[in-house]
Amino acid sequence: MALSRQWRRRLAYGGNATLVTGLVLALLGVVYGVADRNRARWDLSSDSTNQLQPDTLKKLELLAADGQEVEVIAFSSQEGKADTFFRDRAMKDLLAELDYHSATVKTRFVDFDRERLTAESLGVTEYGHLVVRRGEQRVDLKAREIFRNQGTGADRSLEFLGESAFSRAAAQLLSNRRKVIYTLRGHGELDPDERGPGGLSELKALLDQENYELKPLDFFFDRERAGAPSVPTDAAALLIPRPKAPLTDAEEDALITYVASGGAVGIFWDPGAPLPDLVERLGVTSPEGVVMDKLRVFPYNDRPVPVYGGHSLVEDLREERIVTVVAHVAPVRVPEELPGWITPSTVLRTSRDGWIDRGGALDKGAAVYEPDIDLIGPVDIAVALELTPGQGGLVNEGKRVSRVLLMGDADALSNVIMGEGPGNPSFAVNAARWLTWDDARLAVVGKPTRVRRLALTDEDQGRIRWLVLGLLPALSVLAGGAVWANRRGQ
Amino acid sequence: MIEVEHLTKRYGAFTAIEDVSFSVPKGHVLGFIGPNGAGKTTTMRVLTGFLPATEGRAVVAGFDVFEDPVEVKRRVGYLPETPPLYRELTVGEYLRFCAELRELPRADRLRRVGEVMERVGLRGWERRVLGTLSKGYRQRVGLAQALLHNPPVLILDEPTSGLDPAQNVGVRELIAGLAGDHTIILSTHILPEVEALCAQVVLINKGKIAAAGTMEAVRAQAAPAYFRVSLDAPGVEPAAVARAVGALAEVKVVQPEGEGLRVEAEPGVDPRPAIASMAVGRGWGVRGLERTIPTLEEAFLSIVGREGA
Amino acid sequence: MTATFAILKRELLTYFVSPLAYVFLGVFLFLAGVFFYLGIALTGEASLRVMLGNVSISLMFVLPMLTMRHFAEEQKTGTFEMLMTSPVSPVAILVGKWLASLTLCLVMLLGTGLFVAILAYYGDPDWGVVATSYLGLLLTCGVFCAGGLFASSLTDDQVAAGMGGIVLLMPLWLVGSASSLVGEEWQARLDHLALLPHLRSFTKGVIDTADIAYFALLTFGFLFLTFRTLESRRWR
Repeated sequence: MALSRQWRRRLAYGGNATLVTGLVLALLGVVYGVADRNRARWDLSSDSTNQLQPDTLKKLELLAADGQEVEVIAFSSQEGKADTFFRDRAMKDLLAELDYHSATVKTRFVDFDRERLTAESLGVTEYGHLVVRRGEQRVDLKAREIFRNQGTGADRSLEFLGESAFSRAAAQLLSNRRKVIYTLRGHGELDPDERGPGGLSELKALLDQENYELKPLDFFFDRERAGAPSVPTDAAALLIPRPKAPLTDAEEDALITYVASGGAVGIFWDPGAPLPDLVERLGVTSPEGVVMDKLRVFPYNDRPVPVYGGHSLVEDLREERIVTVVAHVAPVRVPEELPGWITPSTVLRTSRDGWIDRGGALDKGAAVYEPDIDLIGPVDIAVALELTPGQGGLVNEGKRVSRVLLMGDADALSNVIMGEGPGNPSFAVNAARWLTWDDARLAVVGKPTRVRRLALTDEDQGRIRWLVLGLLPALSVLAGGAVWANRRGQ
Repeated sequence: MIEVEHLTKRYGAFTAIEDVSFSVPKGHVLGFIGPNGAGKTTTMRVLTGFLPATEGRAVVAGFDVFEDPVEVKRRVGYLPETPPLYRELTVGEYLRFCAELRELPRADRLRRVGEVMERVGLRGWERRVLGTLSKGYRQRVGLAQALLHNPPVLILDEPTSGLDPAQNVGVRELIAGLAGDHTIILSTHILPEVEALCAQVVLINKGKIAAAGTMEAVRAQAAPAYFRVSLDAPGVEPAAVARAVGALAEVKVVQPEGEGLRVEAEPGVDPRPAIASMAVGRGWGVRGLERTIPTLEEAFLSIVGREGA
Repeated sequence: MTATFAILKRELLTYFVSPLAYVFLGVFLFLAGVFFYLGIALTGEASLRVMLGNVSISLMFVLPMLTMRHFAEEQKTGTFEMLMTSPVSPVAILVGKWLASLTLCLVMLLGTGLFVAILAYYGDPDWGVVATSYLGLLLTCGVFCAGGLFASSLTDDQVAAGMGGIVLLMPLWLVGSASSLVGEEWQARLDHLALLPHLRSFTKGVIDTADIAYFALLTFGFLFLTFRTLESRRWR
């Protein structure tokens, strides 16, 4: 009995107590480990800001399936600019969510200013950039694909589209297949392999980065395609960049057949170039003459500064006010009345001061509107058409909507202008995305995160300052003083 | 009511109390005395369940302090050396808090607080802030706190320290009034107080019990009784008188003391008849023959030694 | 239960009859106000998110000052002896004291309700996020109070207890930003220990069981250590 008392005392109070304490603390660690591995969580924010969309989660799951690591590297926004704080925070939140939901996703937030080397090694030259990498594959998202400004002034708000951007990138990584865009060859078209000023090698490199392969399509010299010409089935889109000679009948037929099956075609030409029949079949014409505008790229008379139309593929350029440069442009005319199966939408046009110059103003050395000869604008430069299947139209019933981009300028895609025009690369990529239906990348998946702004005048701020820094602490200290005095009085 | 058996408390290598055993019957007042640092407070802390003993056992009010500390604590009222007061609170707030801690039924709390305040002489002091009270009144509040739950056992650690003589008497009377209903252990420096209040005494020194038992027993144990002898022997040298007394078989030690002699004998032996008959035989007159019991103070000093006091 | 409540009541009474609580309230509200004002002035957002991180750090310094007296003072004045010789378990004492400081925290946080009112008046805050933010902050207070109590139980010197509490809690903050010392990989592991990463989900409107477990276990751990210390002070 005495021994057992002794023993119990030691257990409760002796050195064993330290052991017991250590064990309990270790147990707490274990419990946390279990809790960490079996999480449950609820998003109580009213916008469900922190809830990834089921679609995104599905993509994360698919990405994780083969265990290959996915790197998501976000770059900070420019210091000192409006909204930098929100942009960076929203990005970090997104990275945290991705981290949370996937074991194979490794995220990293890079301070663009402080870690220039990292940016350089990744070839990132812009603030707010997002890189998604998986093995050899890589998708780049630009700040303007991730953030969107809405409204102006006090109603201005910033939308964060990071999740949809990531989701699109993930889709691209998952599809794994590079989309092929064919460019027609054989009629003196601009050549993707040509590195000179008039070539398309820049465009090819650019699209390559975006996971598109620009392949020449040659109905005459390609032995593999002997027989009746037809557009290959793996074509995501077909580009016809300024043919100098008309297409053969067989080629025209192949083109019509392609569109009938829901294919996407981008046709670019310059003044005086022959147009494929398809353009006419769609009711679009290109009147003789050169598009001019009082608003032009100095010192060139034939480089009107185009105004962006309402089409989605130029939405970001319009918002960011980035100029796309065009040169020596043929007008595009869409008739007022079109059959119901054609839905036109302006992509580029001149300003209200534009006109179609038919008097050879170029040769005279001055771009002046001559009412007796010229046709007053605004003049369309590029239009996008969506062709609904059936309805007696060109596209066969049951096929996908056919997308056609018609642009009276091919130079905009050429190496020389691509290098000059600040908006041209984006314009080209967006056009490729729209044609290949990758403009889901432009669409918003899930809800964008909005910044809840506080509209405060200077007066409001002053009032808040006094209330918060003066009145509130003063009140509590006064209350303390009162209680103290009261107590002392007793 | 209180049984202490072979209690030992060590703090690391330091032994605070060693093999302390004593018991207090119900209704008795035990005086617990000893020099500072002797182990009085440690013993009391063990009895109240504040400190666990290293060895030995203590049973208070029928419960083992180690086995059933909560039951013991319910039955003990404890006044530590410094009254445990929250300086910011008023007397009333403090005592009501104590009443709650002491598990008094809600209905009884206020009544009981009033009663106790009345008893310790705090009537009308309810709204005074504790921090502003004088030492005496703090001691009263401490006492009130110990009495709140009307415990069968009271353990009071120096209840009168720092009080003025008048207050002292008041507290003493209070404790005297409590005896009988309550079993009390009272530790104090003030020996007359113990003599006045306690039937039993435990004298502790350097962690060990030096003497224990009834007041008389302790006194006797500490310093045996001696006799003052004053003989009227005309013409005889005092030294010769002393020699004559010392020659008696019953007498152990003889020392001159004042005009007479101080005579010590073996315990249980009364040398007075022998001295008287010797004196009568020699024709000396007997002025005085008295048995003297040492005071507690003397006993204390004889045990602890003067340096300890 | 009664005893816990009695101690809770007594602690609150002590807080509110002395100027102490009010000074704390004033200091805290001022600090929080600075962060709130800077937050809305710099970002113009109807949200408490900027404020919360900073407030949690300032609580790390303020709360140990609040809890430092709990055991240190009781040990010093001897009231601890009275508590421990009452028929009350040390756990009840501990929990009572912890609840008392947490209640004071609640009062402090209620004071910041003015900020929410301002946001609601001038803008349109996300109420779900506001609610989870306060929950997270309260859980943080729970950890800090428990840590402060632990520090207070270690010594009977109040100042040492306060400083000790800060030193004790500081690592919870610091381990969250040690990546330059230990590298990214270890930082990811340390983030499990750090406080701010766990608070962050609350400030975003997310309630995560693992975060709740973090705060609850840390609080329990500190309270348990306090309990062991109180026990050991009796036999050491």
